[in-house]
Amino acid sequence: MAEKDKLKKVGDILLNNAMYIIIAIAVVYIAIMRPTFIKLPSIINILSLTAAKLPIALGIGGCIVLTGTDISAGRVVGLTACISASLLTTVFKVFPNMTNAVPLPLVLLLVIGVGALVGFVNGFSVAKFKLHPFIVTLSTQLIVYGIILMYLMRGVNNGQTLSGLDDSYRSFVTGTLFTIGGVAVPKYVLYSLILTIIMWVIWNKTTFGKNMFAVGSNEEAANVSGVNVMRTIIMVFMLAGMMYGITGFLDGARIASANANTGLNYECDAIAACVIGGVSFVGGIGRISGIVVGVLLLQIIFTGLNFLAVDANMLYIIKGLIILIACAIDMRKYLVRK
Amino acid sequence: MKKLNKKFLCTLLSVSMLAVLTACGGKDDTAATNADTSTATNTDTAAPAESAAPAETTAPADTETSAAREGSVAVFYYTYGDTYISSVRAALDSALDAAGIQYQDYDSNNSQTTQSEQVTTAIAQGATVLVVNLVDTGSDDAAKNIITQANGVPVIFFNRSVSEEAVTSSDKCVFVGTDYEMAGHMQGEMIGNYLLENYDTLDLNGDGTISYVMFKGQEGNAEADARTKYGQEDADTILTGAGKPALSFYDSANSNKYLVDQAGAWSSAAATEYMQTIMSQYSEANNNMVELVIANNDEMAIGAVTALQNAGYNKDGSTVIPVFGVDATDAAKDAIAAGSMIGTIKQDADGMANTIADITANFMDGKEAFDGVDSANVVGTWRVNIPYATYTGN
Repeated sequence: MAEKDKLKKVGDILLNNAMYIIIAIAVVYIAIMRPTFIKLPSIINILSLTAAKLPIALGIGGCIVLTGTDISAGRVVGLTACISASLLTTVFKVFPNMTNAVPLPLVLLLVIGVGALVGFVNGFSVAKFKLHPFIVTLSTQLIVYGIILMYLMRGVNNGQTLSGLDDSYRSFVTGTLFTIGGVAVPKYVLYSLILTIIMWVIWNKTTFGKNMFAVGSNEEAANVSGVNVMRTIIMVFMLAGMMYGITGFLDGARIASANANTGLNYECDAIAACVIGGVSFVGGIGRISGIVVGVLLLQIIFTGLNFLAVDANMLYIIKGLIILIACAIDMRKYLVRK
Repeated sequence: MKKLNKKFLCTLLSVSMLAVLTACGGKDDTAATNADTSTATNTDTAAPAESAAPAETTAPADTETSAAREGSVAVFYYTYGDTYISSVRAALDSALDAAGIQYQDYDSNNSQTTQSEQVTTAIAQGATVLVVNLVDTGSDDAAKNIITQANGVPVIFFNRSVSEEAVTSSDKCVFVGTDYEMAGHMQGEMIGNYLLENYDTLDLNGDGTISYVMFKGQEGNAEADARTKYGQEDADTILTGAGKPALSFYDSANSNKYLVDQAGAWSSAAATEYMQTIMSQYSEANNNMVELVIANNDEMAIGAVTALQNAGYNKDGSTVIPVFGVDATDAAKDAIAAGSMIGTIKQDADGMANTIADITANFMDGKEAFDGVDSANVVGTWRVNIPYATYTGN
């Protein structure tokens, strides 16, 4: 009997960590097939791509903790990237009357503000009208896309891609933080790290963070025990919006060309990363470390598949399977607890 | 308190709605006013500048002499999100304004369903000419469906390819496009010649062959397929013709010989991330650096340039990895001027818009469809090809 229990326990552990085991096997396999995969330049590449995709996932994570989601994320990134690229440039096509780039911190504050505004609309509609976040953010996604298109038609730009960015902006984001072994680490890795720390503090050390988990696991109970549910929901979405704003600011310089397609579908990868990292759609469950791991794992898989020159069509299937397996494992844990 | 909130919300909603309405209404109003003034001041019935070069249609002088025409044109764009299509839209809007033609623009948002429904609506509203930038180019069905629905109303397809069979099924249907394979051929030729001129500087590791990467915009798109194929093949033909070895794809394990944007959006972000990942494995230090970048469009070309610049290439005084695109967007022209990109193929947005406006006017005036269109570009009785041009900044 005891033997059987032990076996079951081992099986449970294996199953619960199946995702990590699969990925560990994948890394070993890729490293054998393509040894350069675990060399320093490749590792730095994976880390910097992870850093680039982390802020948006950190934002969306909060919405998922509230049993919600946010599909307006990608478009907000697009809008804020366009705003950043139009103000911090050398060719002012959107605002033909301007001659000098706006100071960097001002633009950063502006895009954070724009993100927060969209977040407020999302959060307010969810909390006040009791609408499902999917519908609310679907609406704001469309509205924001319309605004992007109108914004790009402004001035003499005619919907063209925004480029010709100011050098100080690009070096602020993609400049070298430090060099190890001859490989440069870009500055946005540092910014991502700072954002992660800030979010960790907010989630774990503040009343707001505790309220967020309380509302996520049981809204009624949270309400009864004196949590201001409405304010919590609005703040979670606003915080998420700020993260998208920062992502847009960083992506504007990282890609150095912003247009109506910028940010398209970013939310899909971010949501997938959160789910893989154990942020549960059941609500009230999730950790910052999980999100970081989720983004990292997704990036490892995709960079690895690229190294293996896997057929592009297969990538969709693999991505779908990863998300499905991750969700199934997540749900299984929850059912066991119940 | 609650009541106040509600009232405030109502006011806010109505104000924003009003703002949107006025903003949207603006364009139609001006178009209508334009038409009115030209009728009032104009007794001359001559059509605008049909025989002159297309570019002249936009000149202000023509606005005064053009006749306001009965009826209105419905223009359907496959998506407002496409940079090149946006420049066609801006040019076509002003060309139609100049010709005194009323029009309404639709954004089909990359969905054939949306577009087909919009066409139904426009016909119900009494549109006299349909100008369609088809979404679904995979089969003839969507195009034929629109022609059937139009039922005698002239249809001008443009930009995204429609088969000859579909277009010729109605005598009031034409296609204004480009010979879509041409862009790939011209890109390949430009690349081949550029490589021959600079072969030894470009062959960074001195192994005698140029290794390249190809960025494809989308799977299942005829233009992307042709550009991916000919961009490399034609360059090879020129190289081997001059006794040089053919290009070799940087990753011999990749049998496709291209990397495709997973989202099918031809986006710069996809190219940046691919390029960054490539350079983590292939570098000058490893003696296997990618020596040539070919992209299906300028977005992806610019994306690759960004990644190269982040790694210290393609800047003033540094090694330049040649990057080639298609479209000649403003961003690409700037990059070419700055020396961070080598060349692109120009799609003539103004030329396309002016030709569409001319044909529209011809249909409205009951003339031959291609009256006044440069006959060198006309193919049979169904198609006009707007020529491409190479653009290297010279």
